[in-house]
Amino acid sequence: MKTNKLAAIMRGLCAIMAVLFVIATVGTTIADGYRSALDSVLGTQSFITNTDEDAARFKSDYATIEEMAAAAKDIAVREGEEGTVIMKNDNNVLPLATKEVVLFGLAAYAPYPYASGDLKAGNEDAVDLVDALEAAGIKVNETVKKFYQESILNKHIEMVANMWTGEEVPTVAYDHIYVASPGDWGEYQVVEVPPTEYTAMGASSDWKSGIDKANTTAICVFARGAGEGNTYKPGSAIDYSGNATGEDPLALSADELAVIDVAKETCSKVLVLINSGNNMVLKEIAAGGAHEVDGIAYIGVINDYQCTGIVNVLTGKVNATGALPDTYVADNSSIPAVVNFGGDMYADYEIIATEGTDSRYPGESIANTPAGSFGGSATYNGGMYIVEAEGIYVGYKYFETRYYDAIMNPSFNASSAKGATQAANWDYAKEVLYSFGHGLSYLDYTQTIKSVEVDKMPEGNVTAVIEVKNNSNQDGRFLAQLYVQKPYTEYDKANLVEKSAVDFLNSAKVDVPAGGTVEVTITVPTKYIASYDYKNAKTYILDEGDYLFTAAAGSHAAVNNFIAKQGGTPDGTTENGAVVTWNLGSFDDTTFAVENGVVVTNVADDADLNYWTGKDTVTYLSRQDWDGTYPINYNKVEIKISDSPRKDEWIKELQGRTYEISDTGAAVEGSDQGVKFDATQVGYEQFTNIDDPYWDKLTSEILIDEAVGAVIHGGSRSDVLTNVDNPIVIQNEGVSGFTAGYTDEATGKTYKFNIHSQTLMGSSFNPELAYEWGKVEGNSGLWLKRYHLWGTGLTQRRTPYNGRNYEYISEDPMLTNRIGYGILQGCADKGILNGPKHMGFNDQEHNRGGISAYMTEQKFRETDLRGFQGALEEVEGCRAVMIAFNRIGATNAAHHVGMLQKILRGEWAYTDLVSTDMMNNKYYFNAESMVMSGITQVADFATEDNHINQGEGGVDKTWAYLSVATVKNDKELVEQARQNLRYQLFAYANSAILNVSTTKVATWWDNALTGVRTCTAILACAAALAWIVLTVLPEKKKGDK
Amino acid sequence: MNCKKLPVGAWIACCAAVLVLVSLIVYAINIGSEGYFQGASISNLVLFLILAIVCELVAVVLGQLEQKGAVGKVLDLIAGACRIVAPALIALCLINLIAARVEGLGFIYFSNADVAKEVQTPANLSSATGSIAAMVCLGVSMLAAIVAAFVNVRKKEA
Repeated sequence: MKTNKLAAIMRGLCAIMAVLFVIATVGTTIADGYRSALDSVLGTQSFITNTDEDAARFKSDYATIEEMAAAAKDIAVREGEEGTVIMKNDNNVLPLATKEVVLFGLAAYAPYPYASGDLKAGNEDAVDLVDALEAAGIKVNETVKKFYQESILNKHIEMVANMWTGEEVPTVAYDHIYVASPGDWGEYQVVEVPPTEYTAMGASSDWKSGIDKANTTAICVFARGAGEGNTYKPGSAIDYSGNATGEDPLALSADELAVIDVAKETCSKVLVLINSGNNMVLKEIAAGGAHEVDGIAYIGVINDYQCTGIVNVLTGKVNATGALPDTYVADNSSIPAVVNFGGDMYADYEIIATEGTDSRYPGESIANTPAGSFGGSATYNGGMYIVEAEGIYVGYKYFETRYYDAIMNPSFNASSAKGATQAANWDYAKEVLYSFGHGLSYLDYTQTIKSVEVDKMPEGNVTAVIEVKNNSNQDGRFLAQLYVQKPYTEYDKANLVEKSAVDFLNSAKVDVPAGGTVEVTITVPTKYIASYDYKNAKTYILDEGDYLFTAAAGSHAAVNNFIAKQGGTPDGTTENGAVVTWNLGSFDDTTFAVENGVVVTNVADDADLNYWTGKDTVTYLSRQDWDGTYPINYNKVEIKISDSPRKDEWIKELQGRTYEISDTGAAVEGSDQGVKFDATQVGYEQFTNIDDPYWDKLTSEILIDEAVGAVIHGGSRSDVLTNVDNPIVIQNEGVSGFTAGYTDEATGKTYKFNIHSQTLMGSSFNPELAYEWGKVEGNSGLWLKRYHLWGTGLTQRRTPYNGRNYEYISEDPMLTNRIGYGILQGCADKGILNGPKHMGFNDQEHNRGGISAYMTEQKFRETDLRGFQGALEEVEGCRAVMIAFNRIGATNAAHHVGMLQKILRGEWAYTDLVSTDMMNNKYYFNAESMVMSGITQVADFATEDNHINQGEGGVDKTWAYLSVATVKNDKELVEQARQNLRYQLFAYANSAILNVSTTKVATWWDNALTGVRTCTAILACAAALAWIVLTVLPEKKKGDK
Repeated sequence: MNCKKLPVGAWIACCAAVLVLVSLIVYAINIGSEGYFQGASISNLVLFLILAIVCELVAVVLGQLEQKGAVGKVLDLIAGACRIVAPALIALCLINLIAARVEGLGFIYFSNADVAKEVQTPANLSSATGSIAAMVCLGVSMLAAIVAAFVNVRKKEA
């Protein structure tokens, strides 16, 4: 071969090797970014955890994985038993009086959710409704079961490509199934197959003939889907045939009612099960409805084992003790919060947009249009707003208070036409079907409040003793609920301090023998009976007067007790119970004006739209005049930012410029101070005192680049800080528990522990069960060696339409507060960082990434934040929280210094980790503002990126105006970033993370990539050398020897 | 330089350069058009692709210079080095483009139903298609540049 031809081959080979080297080198960086996903797909382990069992601070309560799994399963079954709510029970339909049932409805055979994932663990031994009924000895009609399962649903497996690997994975699918995801503010099809289609779909024409009507009960199950980024749109329903009906998607559709009608035709009794986390409208099947049924029960969103518990209730194996965590109404448009829901744009929202004039983004055009729930365009997304004009009157607090005033305070205009949907004038009996806290017990019992002690001190408690008497001849479990009514005074009217006529405080379950009596003590911090006065005292107040306490089976029974006690005439739907009075002699605006050494005063005046408009644009709902203050839709009022006397301030906030970098002095560069983050240097003093000098030294070691970088690029895992050597902590998702599985090496069996149901936990009304679940969840973290979880949702269910209500507990802040406290205390006891989400009014998913929610400071403090307060202030060791996506007023919740620095870290003395939700829009989420609000990690889901110099030219890769050069003269920013990381490291130190050490190891694919890099580099060099030599050598001429 | 007399190697190198130029145009249209990847430029990608084009063209031009002796060897080495660097630069751009787009493409094409409903707008789908087209163009360019590296661009001596 000629030399020049050989040289060309060598050159070509060199080019190939160079290409492969480039691919392997850059590919290694990319692979590192997806390390967690690759580990999961390839079954490799990049971090090994060294556990010294003897030295562990947190240990599992279970010796074997089988014990662990059994405990988890037991909790799930009990959630079914304690969370199932009997809403209606006539004609002795329950406990099931017949041994044969016919199941109707798609969800009867495929309860929601039918697919495993975040909400459903998918264990091999999962139990569905049919399994559970048959296991309980109930015969399920085979004919109907067969045509539903085989002809209508036709469960099958479809191969769907995995989004990352492209691998085809088997996925459960059906020919006909309810829509599991309602989508974002679009149409929702209620895909219930009407009976007219049965024969066409394979049922024999005489399918009804085989049913023994007299001895058979029909069970109809109807579901509504849910999901992240989803929001139901009122009036958006589509029927089975695909026709828009204009009906509420949460109302039973004509097709569903037709199923009920055929159930009534073929069976002597009909029971309807509501399988949803969103309140459905049940007017048609409730008492007096055109399709009234014998029984209705709420079964929430179920997981692997809850059906066993649900059936234990249906069959009467256990007493029914669940209660409704929300109010069920005849028409959702009667809910004042629904008047202002979804949102719309300011009249002149375009003025927020910039065309290259934002100094942070020179030359860029930034719009002010809505972005999708998952981001994707250059916009401040500050154009859409809602006004939460209902104030504290969410759910039962509206309906019961208006009911109370209709009887006791006629001058308050409670019976006006405003808000009435069922008659010309507002009438509680017509508007409300089932009240908050309602739940029928099979066994007759009474709950009577015996005494109340109120310790009116900042750390004091209300302690109530309730006598539960079992009037039946069976042993049983019962629910006791504690309610209060606070005085509504002239001072309150003058200063717009709103008071519900009835407030839920706490609840407990108790086992009582047949005919016996047991006293149960219920406590709750006294501070929760104070009210926030944002107008005058600008702090929490206790009005002088009578505070009435009662025990009752629901909010309506409780308010009736108060009416009867005060000499009024209740509606007679409940028996009047005892009331205990605690009197406060004089007005108190001092006891709760300081909390944890911090003065409690207004921090969110600018959450009120009136602050910005400079006039009384919004009239917030006040019970003193239901007619005059009933909310209007403020999206139909022209709101112009340009008309505001605070126009510039407003625009600045809507552009995300809550904090702007300035020269506050030169920051000191971090340097090694000789301390590290490890178990040998963190002792008792450091665990217990965040002000210990150790933490000063440790945080002073953090480099400027890393201090800011680690905060603003902090999720979904922590990265190692130079000089600090902190462990890498991986975050995990799952309001139902850790989604990761545990595979027992001995048996090869895989166990999943995300078996919890938030909805059924809420309707259990049992904080003790919540605590037990929290411990099980924590134990599962120890088994899985995963220590950080976003494991519960505590946002208030403001309306029935939020697609994420299934992740939350209740419309009531205190029920949420107590259940949240239980779950998170249980997890904390096992050393798991379990963060509740999404603090700060993430009460609709529609345009969650930018919508402004305007409200009064009383609502701000007493609704959504109250739901989180129990966990974040009271739990010993709750060490993480995720902040909402939306704005509070005009301010991004993750920028909100008032909520995060003043309330969370100040009043609540919270000293731990604070994360944003998904950072998907750099124009909405502003890095420096998040640092200054106290965020410890911004969830950008990248890895190995705790720097602000990874972009082109040594600037930040996301916020290019940030660099060490631009922040080093803002020492306040840098020191706040270090302080935030101190909080985070303190949280890690106090968790199971410090039980162990985590070390990164090379996986086989790391080694393979290294091998490819090395080989291609060597071969490229060799080929290049050969090519050079062959090129330089003289060409042999013909005849040369 | 008489184009009609260019050797096959020079033509392949020219083709590679044209393909890179096409890739560059497709990429520029993609990030300039409405949709998910609008404005999603990739650091140094344009610079590297222009360098790759320059490398291929320099190699062709140098190959046509009739220099002999030491100067000719040096020119050969420079032209050869250009043809080694060009495919490496294109590969670098290709993998960086893939890395930058894979998450977005996964998001658009493989999200669960509720997210997909929101994300799969005509503009986003068009943007995704444009992005894939840029990857394909770059892949073909890279192969052409590799092939060009195997073939001499200098005219055979008479």
